[in-house]
Amino acid sequence: MAPRDEAAGALPPLSGAELAQLSRQRLVGQLLAPLWVPLASGLMALGFGWRIENARVLRARYRKLRAESRAPLLVCANHLTMVDSLLVAWALGSPLWYLRHYTSLPWNVPEERNFASTVSRRALIYVMKCLPIRRAADRKEAALVLARLAHLIGRGDVGLVFPEGGRSRSGRVEPDAAAYGVGRLVKALPGCSVLCVYLRGAGQASWSDLPRRGERFRAELSLLEPKSDAGGLRGSLEIARQIVGRLAEMEQAFDAR
Amino acid sequence: MSEEELFAKVVEILTPYAKNQAALAQVAPGTNILEELKVNSARLVDVVLAFEDEFDIEIADEDVDSVETVADCVTLIQQKLT
Repeated sequence: MAPRDEAAGALPPLSGAELAQLSRQRLVGQLLAPLWVPLASGLMALGFGWRIENARVLRARYRKLRAESRAPLLVCANHLTMVDSLLVAWALGSPLWYLRHYTSLPWNVPEERNFASTVSRRALIYVMKCLPIRRAADRKEAALVLARLAHLIGRGDVGLVFPEGGRSRSGRVEPDAAAYGVGRLVKALPGCSVLCVYLRGAGQASWSDLPRRGERFRAELSLLEPKSDAGGLRGSLEIARQIVGRLAEMEQAFDAR
Repeated sequence: MSEEELFAKVVEILTPYAKNQAALAQVAPGTNILEELKVNSARLVDVVLAFEDEFDIEIADEDVDSVETVADCVTLIQQKLT
């Protein structure tokens, strides 16, 4: 009989084969990390000329957070470009630090059509801690991806999701767009903290595929422990709305600076 | 409430979310909610919350994973009511 995944809570159980597959993916990614982690950050810094202006402060805070607590951690960020997951990871840690603290380099859940459409892309995201998901996936399939992510977070890795479900078409955080899946994920991980990250480039007026060349980014962090007294789906949605609500507050504070 | 009445109520709740009005006009128990009625998958959550409000029931996250057709909704609500 396939083992059940204790960390998954209300999410579907993962089979022994799926757990082995995740361990294998994680190991391959970690073994190749000395290649792809510096390459990815080098491409952002040198290829595109991007810079995170307050990276030093953000990284110090993230390091402290990871050193102080081993509680499950989910990073939730606003979403404006197709490379936000890379930018957020880059904002939170240096390549060298991630090589020594591989668990702190977040897993993320990219849209399959955008990032896994060819064999080479699939291979690339396989090593880059990604669990692709189809936007129009049926609920069982989506729940299975969430279960995989919950398993990885439950065993000490960090996850990264965009709780609005996609890039904001208005260019602003949209509280009504809260995707309930993020709430379901948090509920499945007892004691889970959520690190909200609001990141934006100085010239990023709306959504786009890529930030402009030479873009200067700033980010803000806010730690949240979302809770809901409501059960079931309603509770999941409430938690998702708390997270997106916090990101909307961070956006207002960001604008007021 | 009979199964027919329950079916009618479920269809009434689904109506504002269905983008395919032609499929809605011919709705049957086996009609697929996402593929045929073209209800946006993100809006399915609102549909389920409407079921909770209408029938005073609580639906768990995992219950929704198996909902594909209108009949699945009816069965799920019946289970929660009993």
